[in-house]
Amino acid sequence: MPELRELTYAEALRECLRQLMEEDERVFLIGEDIGVYGGAFGVTAGLIEQFGPERVIDTPISEAGIAGACIGAALTGMRPIGEIQFMDFVTLSMEQLVLQAAKVRFMFGGKASVPMVLRMPSGSGTGAAAQHSESLENWFVHVPGLKVVMPSTPYDAKGLLRAAVLDDNPVIFVEHKLLYKTKGHVPEAPYIVPLGQSKVVREGSHLTVVATSVMVGRALQAAEQLAEEGIELEVIDPRTLKPLDDAPIIESVKKTGRALVVHEAVEMGGFGGEVVARIAASEAFDYLEAPIRRLAGLDIPIPYNRRLEYHAVPQVESIVREARKLVRGEY
Amino acid sequence: MPVPIIMPKFGFTLESCQIVQWLVREGDRVRSGDPICEVTTDKVNMEVEAPEDGVIHQILYKAGDVVPVAQVICYLLRPNEVAEAAAAPIAATKNVPNATPLARRIAESNQLDLATVQGSGRDGKIMRRDVEQALGKVRATPAARRLAAEHGINLAEIQGTGRGGRVQGTDVQAALARRASELATPPKEGEAQVVTPLSAPEQADRRVVRLEGMRRTIAQRLQKSFQSAPHIFLNMTVDMSAVEALRETLKARGEKLSVTAVLIKACAWALGRNPALNATLEGDEISYWRHANIGMAVALQDGLIVPIIHRAEQLSLHAIQQEVDRLAALAREGKLTLDQVSGGTFTVTNMGMFGVDSFTAIINPPQVAILAVGRIVRSFVPDPEGKPILKPTLTMTLSADHRVVDGAHAAHFLRDLRDVIQTPSLLAW
Amino acid sequence: MMQLSQDLIQRHQDLIEALGAETLKAMLQEMHLIRAFEERAEQLYMQGKVHGTMHLSIGQEATAVGAANAMQEGDYLLNHHRGHGHCLAWGSDPNRMMAEFMGKETGYCRGRGGSMHIADIESNNLGANGIVAGGLPIAVGVGLSIKMRRTSQVCLVIFGDGAANEGAFHEALNMASIWRLPIVFLCENNQYAMSMPVQQAFNIENISQRAAAYGLPGVTVDGNDVLAVYAAVSEAAARARRGEGATLVEAKTYRYKGHSKSDKQVYRSREEVRFWQENRDPIMRFSQLLLTAGLISEAEAAQMRERAVAIIDAAVAFSEASPEPDVADIMSGVYA
Repeated sequence: MPELRELTYAEALRECLRQLMEEDERVFLIGEDIGVYGGAFGVTAGLIEQFGPERVIDTPISEAGIAGACIGAALTGMRPIGEIQFMDFVTLSMEQLVLQAAKVRFMFGGKASVPMVLRMPSGSGTGAAAQHSESLENWFVHVPGLKVVMPSTPYDAKGLLRAAVLDDNPVIFVEHKLLYKTKGHVPEAPYIVPLGQSKVVREGSHLTVVATSVMVGRALQAAEQLAEEGIELEVIDPRTLKPLDDAPIIESVKKTGRALVVHEAVEMGGFGGEVVARIAASEAFDYLEAPIRRLAGLDIPIPYNRRLEYHAVPQVESIVREARKLVRGEY
Repeated sequence: MPVPIIMPKFGFTLESCQIVQWLVREGDRVRSGDPICEVTTDKVNMEVEAPEDGVIHQILYKAGDVVPVAQVICYLLRPNEVAEAAAAPIAATKNVPNATPLARRIAESNQLDLATVQGSGRDGKIMRRDVEQALGKVRATPAARRLAAEHGINLAEIQGTGRGGRVQGTDVQAALARRASELATPPKEGEAQVVTPLSAPEQADRRVVRLEGMRRTIAQRLQKSFQSAPHIFLNMTVDMSAVEALRETLKARGEKLSVTAVLIKACAWALGRNPALNATLEGDEISYWRHANIGMAVALQDGLIVPIIHRAEQLSLHAIQQEVDRLAALAREGKLTLDQVSGGTFTVTNMGMFGVDSFTAIINPPQVAILAVGRIVRSFVPDPEGKPILKPTLTMTLSADHRVVDGAHAAHFLRDLRDVIQTPSLLAW
Repeated sequence: MMQLSQDLIQRHQDLIEALGAETLKAMLQEMHLIRAFEERAEQLYMQGKVHGTMHLSIGQEATAVGAANAMQEGDYLLNHHRGHGHCLAWGSDPNRMMAEFMGKETGYCRGRGGSMHIADIESNNLGANGIVAGGLPIAVGVGLSIKMRRTSQVCLVIFGDGAANEGAFHEALNMASIWRLPIVFLCENNQYAMSMPVQQAFNIENISQRAAAYGLPGVTVDGNDVLAVYAAVSEAAARARRGEGATLVEAKTYRYKGHSKSDKQVYRSREEVRFWQENRDPIMRFSQLLLTAGLISEAEAAQMRERAVAIIDAAVAFSEASPEPDVADIMSGVYA
């Protein structure tokens, strides 16, 4: 059997971008330092050499301008892929994304479409402190008209990005800084991971853990540890936060009777609340053996100090602890 | 000023102690270090000592009271000190049970006296769950409630293993398994099923119901019984004239007597004389039971349940009739408790009301015999002179587990049964 | 007024000859149509036949008509909340506009957009924006797209004086400049951002001065002179089409009505409004010009108003007869 080809998350994204640009000349990239610099995290490295500055457009530091440029180009037949250097900076694009990209189609009676993708890295763990470590995905989840994607593996990164670019709606594509260097099997041929399909990444019978982005890996590690104690976690990665495919989650909770939602973003007002509400409102309610819990970021900005930063968001140990409590009824 | 003696804090986490007994009375003279009362924490009994010499002046709590730590429990008059007219009365808080505010509020709104509630919290603190338990509320997870409703189980009868004694779904499942194992070894899960593919129109014509819940239990238990117990079947027809006469008499008195009640009473009588059939077989052990706990099969909308008339041999016919009616009603409402379906030693199944003449039943394991009866028919039987006369008759079929019950035993039982039915006055014998 | 007309005729002599009588008359007719539409809109609002709010452009007709007529078929339009006039001048169907205003299924946006968000994607009218500078970054994208598709289209983006003080203005003009995008930035300066007078919101005389900061040409024209607007926008569009990039055109005009229907106009005097109405009204000035130049008769001028009202009467009738959107369809159009 031939060895499976492995790529990093960043390489998988780059391969997807390259393939899309080779196939379709309407696809172009626009963002800060994505050209010769290759992007702050190297995702677009080498693409300007292949496609030139007209299709790999370096912009001034103008986040509203980047978002607006994507919208205008998308409205007039192009397939723009914007990059926001850090998800934190998308705060400067919010008007364009929330009031323009998301609403244009509806406001104009369903007659316009905005097929754009805005990529951005979220998350802490790099010592970048409070203004370069945000996880703001749920802001976008709250906006009708947008789709929100959050891949956790190189394979999903490539397949979901392709699906996002081929989608005729504005898609917020949330990457994670700590994932860029993680490796995994990625087929070379283009493929799609459809938007709006949750994935059961590990089967188990005692507790359903719904985790997003970098937390998927941490949940899986926690599951390995707990398996030694006889506790089997079922880990589900929604992959697309909006639209959310909640059916596998509800089915899983019917099986396990317990649920824990894990994400890096601050717990208060976070995506976990939505998942918990969907479970509580579903037929899974009648199968619950324990309260549905969330494990998420503390309600604080991300601190600089390494130790504080570590404790600001869920880690493998905290997932193990919380999961064990729920399964043992020690909550 | 009298010296206040407080409830000491014996442990870091201790919030209150219960006074076990007073070792002194008001007016007693004590020396510093003398024990004045015995108190108990959740772990150990301790003694409260007099802090200095003096006379016990005013005892504020009685034995049994739970007193928060640092609360004054009595006063000590120093030598030569005269009692003041009114020492600061702290009795306002006297006898206030140690309870959480929520527990207190729930108790108040339900007019429940907290003094009657046993606390299960730290240091005997009365928690919400204690109050709810006293009020008959059951703490259970949604899963437990669903399962209980689906299987007609009363949650109050299940011991919860979850947090704070909450009944978990797994507890209900365990109770169901126990209920099943009262009568049979629990079935194995997930046995392969062969499904024959259907063509499209046939698919549309069928309604698919999964084999689960009660139906699954019935299927597994009866299959196991029929496969593992070699059944023998014995028929006997009895003359029901005497029973009919008795029923007519009672009817005239405005009372009702069912054939089932008569049969249960008769079986109890006959089982007392044939203990070989009042038995159960589990593994390598045959148990012969002192009491005749007779199950009666009750058909439900979708399934079957067998409530038990316990100690039928000790009950009057009237009491059995009442019990039969009560259990049948509970069964149809899905309100039977585990006790009411557990511990059977013999079963009677009557299909006479459905017009069945006679039939054979499958033994309800781990019991070793079951009696199946059909309807009462009018048939001609020869009288002593050989002339046909019309009599009400009933055909009984006994199924017995031949591993435990010999044919002769079974025959003796049937004969005794016939005799007591045809001559009900034997019941008094 | 006579003197002014003669001055204008002299100033625009070449333009008047180049456009010819028919085009000039059509432009005046469009201005009448806009005013009739706006007046009827206000009337319908007063009658309780529409809900929400609206932003009327009465007094600003010359800017809309001058700019729209300077553009070519296939060009793009992005405009703002006070946008009825731009759409009508762009050639939108008054029936479907009025239906949209009245929230009907037959409206341009099936009643989902309303007064503030009228768009006609088929005619490259990319829509009116309720966020004052919201259209500017989008115009950058449209400009980029035109450039990448290598067509000769131009994007006209119209915004108000208030929008020029939002950050998006800065980002958009800079990006348009560095990439030489085919965009005409038309700042419709009607003197007030809601209640904020331009004199208080800017410390420069003309907003067009800001173009210099981005390396763009900037020009300020009399926004109540339809031919002046036409001339400036034409030149800017031609420059864009030649690949020479964007231009900032400022048209100084005046709104007669309040910012929206809830505006009591305490920030300005009645006399000020009356002065503009009596001395600088764009329709009156252009009618006078055409009369003085002998291009229309008194009778023709009078008929234009009647014709405009008749068109609007028909639009209202069409709209009133049109169905409401179906509530069962409420979720449609959010996603493609």
